[in-house]
Amino acid sequence: MSENILSEQKLQSTNISSKEKNGLLRRILPISLNTFREAVRDRVLYNLVLFVLLITASAIFLGELTAGQEARTIVNFGLGAMLFFGAFISIFVGVSLVSKEIEKRTVYAIFSKPIGRGEFIVGKYLGLCLTLLVNVLIMGVGVSLALLYVGGGSLAFSIWGAILLIFLELAILTGVAILFSSFSSPALSALLSFLVFIIGHFSAALNDLAKGLGSTFAKYVFGAIYYIFPNLSHFSFITNTAHGEVPPASMILGAFGYTIVYVSILLVLTVLIFSRRNFK
Amino acid sequence: MIAGFIAIYVLSNFLESARPPLPENYADQDLAVQGNKLKGFTLGLDGLIADWYWMQSLQYIGGKLVNSETEQINLEDLKPLNPRLLYPLLDNATTLDPHFMTVYSYGAVVLPAIDREQAIKLIEKGIANNPEEWQLYHNLGYIYWRTKDYRKASETYEKGAAVKNAPPFMRLMAARMKTEGGSRETARVIYGQLFEQAPDDQTREIARLRLLQLDSLDEREAVRATLQQFREKNNRCANSWSEIFPLLKSVKLPGGKDFRIDKSNNLVDPTDAPYILDKANCDINLDRAKSKIPPDIK
Repeated sequence: MSENILSEQKLQSTNISSKEKNGLLRRILPISLNTFREAVRDRVLYNLVLFVLLITASAIFLGELTAGQEARTIVNFGLGAMLFFGAFISIFVGVSLVSKEIEKRTVYAIFSKPIGRGEFIVGKYLGLCLTLLVNVLIMGVGVSLALLYVGGGSLAFSIWGAILLIFLELAILTGVAILFSSFSSPALSALLSFLVFIIGHFSAALNDLAKGLGSTFAKYVFGAIYYIFPNLSHFSFITNTAHGEVPPASMILGAFGYTIVYVSILLVLTVLIFSRRNFK
Repeated sequence: MIAGFIAIYVLSNFLESARPPLPENYADQDLAVQGNKLKGFTLGLDGLIADWYWMQSLQYIGGKLVNSETEQINLEDLKPLNPRLLYPLLDNATTLDPHFMTVYSYGAVVLPAIDREQAIKLIEKGIANNPEEWQLYHNLGYIYWRTKDYRKASETYEKGAAVKNAPPFMRLMAARMKTEGGSRETARVIYGQLFEQAPDDQTREIARLRLLQLDSLDEREAVRATLQQFREKNNRCANSWSEIFPLLKSVKLPGGKDFRIDKSNNLVDPTDAPYILDKANCDINLDRAKSKIPPDIK
């Protein structure tokens, strides 16, 4: 009898938690899709036109300039452009995601509904990640087509591992941009995010520098920078990809893990800061 | 709007012409940035910046050749062009992308004509970064061979032959360098390999010209012997190529190749430029104005 009651209670709690999960998704998903639609409406994906023009021009003219190394240069150039275009979208759209809603006062309408601040932030974040994913996928197809055009057939397929890593890097950068935008003005947030982008790529070199320094204090400072700032060099695989290398599964899994943990930290911080803001 | 753009066009050209010229040695100023100092600042785009240095080095040498005042450029000795920035450019490219094999092979072919030690340094750096690439040993062996250091060339080919997946050609070259390092046949094998395995168009073109040069050397050697034969028989030198054509028919060139004659009945070199018959010395010469064959290697 008591066993039956227990199992009934367990069943009920499972139903409640699955209902809660469904409700959470039902609340986050529209925010994400709306953020994606807004980005498309704001012509964010227009950067693809410029990207396609760049890639087409490089596919046609690089043969002359690089003495037959066009395939490798298209990989370096195409994936480099993908990273930078993506970083600009992450930073400039990311920093305005929340501030725009506050400026337009739409945030009041949103919070008058049963939507938590955390759900709002996560929804916004996932929406921008979806935009970046679409962007990166279309760019990836463009680079692959350019590679097929210049005869770099095998590279056209092997670049996708590096593209996945670029997307993960952009996912972290988006988290950074949203964090800064939760307590700072869009202009300052953009500047700070860009600095994190630079430091993130330089942090591995800083760590090497710290190891070579005699001062223990400097070692701790650089060591702290190395671990606190996102280490974006973990996601750099463009140069290797130009040689036809594919990131090993362990690297991709590690990068996924790093991204999930780092983004979770960033989003928790953002939600904590955002929760303290008064919208009444 | 159109008028505005026309004005911009005119002003732009005016400003360009009004700009004071840069000092002549500007192009050869030392590189301000070194590859190893760039690392970390490249935001993960090391390969792209290496590509930029690679393109710069091609443009640099191309510019030197185009702006050269000498009519015939000697591929064996590019020092008169003063291309002293080539090594730093190639060094930066390979520092940023240590596996950029094209840069090493290009450096191996072009740098020895500027500075042998720099060429060796670049390829040794390549071997340190890519010990599994037997082509780099081939490149280093080639540099030693070009400077007639056949013992070192043989040792290098021997080391390269020990690398996994090295072709039998490497062991063959190791032996050949010891016994007949200076022979034309060895040169043909080396340039043949360079031509087949060149990862870039420029190295391939240099190797192709060298192979044509070797063919031309064979042809000229055979023609000289034939001219001598004609003179001994007729007590005079031939007045035209057509006089020695019957004798040339019986001459066998290496590789079973034949002499080539153009529509005007001229004997032509492998780049289709007519040979010059030097009647005074009873000799055959390349037409330096028309021929693409590089000056002779000894």
